[in-house]
Amino acid sequence: MVKGKRKPLEEIRAALAPYNKVLVTGCGGCVSVCLAGGQKEVNLLMDDLKMLFKQANTPKHLKGYTVERQCNRQFLAELDELAPQAECLVSMACGAGVQYLAERFPNMPVFPAINTIAIGVDREIGIYEEKCRACGECVLAYTGGICPVTRCAKCLFNGPCGGTNKGMCEISNDIPCAWYDIYNRLKDQKRLGDILKIQTPMEWRNQTQRTVIQEGYEKRYAGR
Amino acid sequence: MTEQKSAAVDTAEVKRMLDKHKAKMKMSLSLCAHCSLCAESCFLFNARNKDPKYMPSYKFINSIGKIYKKKGKVDKAMLEEISVNAWKRCVLCTRCYCPFGIDIPDMIALARSICRSQGVFPQYDE
Amino acid sequence: MHCCETGNALTMVAHMELSNLFTADFIYNLARGPLVWISILICIIGSIARTVQLLSYTRIKTIDPNIDFSSIRKKPPAAKGGGLPEPGLFAVLKGTILGVSPVTILVSLCFHICLIIIPFFLLAHNLLIDDAIGFSLFSFSERFSDFLTIIFLACAAFFLFRRIFLARMRAISTFYDYVVLFITVAPFLTGFLAYYQIFNYKIVIILHMLAGELMLVAIPFTKIFHMFFFFIGRFMIVNQHTMGKGSRTW
Repeated sequence: MVKGKRKPLEEIRAALAPYNKVLVTGCGGCVSVCLAGGQKEVNLLMDDLKMLFKQANTPKHLKGYTVERQCNRQFLAELDELAPQAECLVSMACGAGVQYLAERFPNMPVFPAINTIAIGVDREIGIYEEKCRACGECVLAYTGGICPVTRCAKCLFNGPCGGTNKGMCEISNDIPCAWYDIYNRLKDQKRLGDILKIQTPMEWRNQTQRTVIQEGYEKRYAGR
Repeated sequence: MTEQKSAAVDTAEVKRMLDKHKAKMKMSLSLCAHCSLCAESCFLFNARNKDPKYMPSYKFINSIGKIYKKKGKVDKAMLEEISVNAWKRCVLCTRCYCPFGIDIPDMIALARSICRSQGVFPQYDE
Repeated sequence: MHCCETGNALTMVAHMELSNLFTADFIYNLARGPLVWISILICIIGSIARTVQLLSYTRIKTIDPNIDFSSIRKKPPAAKGGGLPEPGLFAVLKGTILGVSPVTILVSLCFHICLIIIPFFLLAHNLLIDDAIGFSLFSFSERFSDFLTIIFLACAAFFLFRRIFLARMRAISTFYDYVVLFITVAPFLTGFLAYYQIFNYKIVIILHMLAGELMLVAIPFTKIFHMFFFFIGRFMIVNQHTMGKGSRTW
C-alpha cells in the first residue's frame, strides 16, 4: 500500500497561520495502516497544533474528521457538510487523496499534512519499506522479483553498472546493489537465462498523468 | 466527531447520523432476503474457510443493522463488537454482490463512520 | 364471483346477529368477496407507492465530470489495451452466482417462475376472474398446474431445508424469514390441498383464500418486495454488477 510520513509540525503550523477554522481530514485507507494519517493520527496532530497555537496565543478552532478513503468520491462526499464550515482543510491522506479532496472543494485552500513516500510493504509496526515506484511497466518477471526501478540508483534494466562494489552500490556502501541481489536470486532459482535477453530501456521521457480504464468496463463509457 | 474521547457514547449524535441515512438504510435492511448468495462474492469469506461471519449480509446485519435495531442506543462495548464486523471482517473493497443490488459497502461504511464518530476505530499498531 | 357479491357481503354484515358474524359461511363470503378486492388494491397501491418511494432515494447518475475521456484514451495506460479483458460467456457464468451455487439458483428460478405463473394461469382462478370481470387469461391444464405446484412446493422445501441446515443461512436467519416463507408457500399448499379435497374442503378453501390475500398484502410491506426492488437495484442503479448501463445512483 501507499506509505507516508507526517510533515514536520512547523511546516503544517506555518501553512495554517492565516486561518482560524481548520478541518483536519484523515483517511481510513493506506495512511491509517502505516500510522501516518488515520483517525488516531488526526487526533494526535490536532493535539499538537492546539498546543502550538495556544502557546503562540493564537488559538484556532480545529475540527477533525476521518473518512474511509479520500481517493473515492463516494466517501469524500461525507465531508460535504463539514468542509464548508471551515476556512481551510488539512488532508492527512496521500497525494492522491489530497488532490481529490482539493478537487471536490475547489474554493478552499487544502494543505497536505503527509509526505507521500512510496508504495511499500509493512516490515514491522512502524517500519515501512518502498517496493514499487508505479512505473507502469513491470519487469519483476525477469528480475527475480526484485525491482530494479526502485532498488537500483540508476534504474538499470540490463545488469549492474560499473559501480557495483562487492554487492554494494557505488553511491553508498550502505546500499546493497540491486543487480547483485537479482543475480544471486536468479542463480539460486537456476533462472539466470532470464536476464541474458537485452531489455529495452523504459520510456521515461514525456511522462504525463496516467489513467487506467479496465477493459471490461470500457463499454460503460463508450461514446464519451 | 474525531476528537471525542470519552467512554460514553453520544447517542444523540449516533441518532443524527442514523436519521440522515435512514431511508436508504432501512429499506436495504428490510429488503435483504437473507438468501446468503452474497457469501462467495467476499474474498475474505472464501479465504476464511467460508466462515458465515464473513458473509457480507452477516456483516451489515450485525453492524449497521444492529445500530438501527437499537435506534442508536448503543454503548461502547457494542460499538467495539460492531467494529469487528465493520473492519476486521471487511476491508471495504466494495466488490460484494447482492442479487437485488443492495448497496452493501455503503452500509458498512456508515457503520464505520458511526463507530469513528464515537472514537471506535481500528488500531494498526497493536 | 360476481362483483355485486361485495355489496351482498356488506349487507350481510348489517343483517347478521353478532354471534353469527364469524361463522364459516360468513368468513367464506368475506374472503371470497371484499377481501380479494381490498388485498389486490393494497398490493397494487402499496407496490406503486413503495416503488416511487424507492426511486425517490435515487437520482440520475453523473460520472466524475473531471474525467477527460478524449485525452486519456490517447495515451497509455488507458490507450494501451491490456487490462482485464471482457470475459467470455463461460467465464462470466462461472463467476456469477449461477456458477458458484448452480443448484440454489436453478431451484430459485423454478420457485419464482412457478410463483408468478401458477396463480395467473390456474383454471380455477381464471373461472372466478372471468365471472367477476368478464375477462381472463388463458389457463394451463389442471394436470400441468398440479405439476407446477408440486415443483413449487419442492423448491420451497429446498429453501426451508437450506435455511435450517446451512450454517451460513442460520447465521442470518430470523423468525421473520420463516414467517415470510410461510406466507409465500401457504396459498400454494392450501390450494393444493383444496384441489385434492384433503381435509375439510370448506375450511381449506377459506384458508387458501385468506392465505392468498395475506400474501398480496405482504408483497409491498415485507422483504417480498424484492420482486420489484430487483429491477431497480440491478438494472437502474449503477454499480459493478449492474445489468446494462444503468442510469441512476443512490
